[in-house]
Amino acid sequence: MSFNVLIVDDSKSVRSVIKKIITISGFRMDQCYEAVNGKQALEILSKARVDVILSDLNMPEMNGLEMLAAIKADSRLQGIPVIIISTEGSDEKRKAVLEMGAKQFIKKPFSPEHVRKVLYEVIGMEDEEIHERNEKDNDGSDF
Amino acid sequence: MKEMKKIMMAAIFDVVEQMFYVFLEPVGDEYSDYAMEAAIQFKGDLKGEMSILVSDGLAESMVHNLLGLEKGQMTKEDIEDCVKEVANMICGNFLGRLDQTRVFDLSMPSFSQPPRKVVAGSDSCRLYFDSDGESFGAVLRLTN
Repeated sequence: MSFNVLIVDDSKSVRSVIKKIITISGFRMDQCYEAVNGKQALEILSKARVDVILSDLNMPEMNGLEMLAAIKADSRLQGIPVIIISTEGSDEKRKAVLEMGAKQFIKKPFSPEHVRKVLYEVIGMEDEEIHERNEKDNDGSDF
Repeated sequence: MKEMKKIMMAAIFDVVEQMFYVFLEPVGDEYSDYAMEAAIQFKGDLKGEMSILVSDGLAESMVHNLLGLEKGQMTKEDIEDCVKEVANMICGNFLGRLDQTRVFDLSMPSFSQPPRKVVAGSDSCRLYFDSDGESFGAVLRLTN
């Protein structure tokens, strides 16, 4: 199974670590897009096919919650699973994020094992949908 | 403040050990020679600022351990980004440990090299550590 991932975090270090975890976890990643905030992520999503999004919450210009709301309001994007990775791990925040439609919430600091486990769960749940999208987009071009 | 210090220490150990593979030893209340500072403000039921202070060598070790970069490969931006993320993670972890039911707003971390000259008053909580001869410090200032 291969997929396209979008990592959204204003920290280059965190984006690099998440990318490395995905790569060494045996996932077949076709494309790894990176964005420094929600605004840039939405620009990428308007042009590229993305199968899963891993996003921080606290970012400049457009934060993760605003981005999540925009994704859920867009019929073309709302099916893309979003995993939130954040230092802000209060029960209330976690609840709000999941109610808004995020698939999972990972608290920083995270272990590679935990990110891998969550990604397997989320990708597994969406396996059929990703396959369908791959089929549909076979003749299309990527970002 | 004593309880807060305990929680802060647990948050620091959790982040630097799990994410940056750095092991710290508390060294009392003595301010050491720090090369840089990352600070983050928070507001909610509590309002204040947390500063993380590190020496050059420790910052380089954290970048190396996190990104696998050697000293000659890492840029100033890599170091700044990494130290800011340390502050972000420690502050978030600390506030979560303080009260899991409270929601706090965190600012974007700021970076200063050398560290700002901030006088830590009686409403502050300070922790200083050593890691193989390198220095790490954390200062929490409450403003209400």
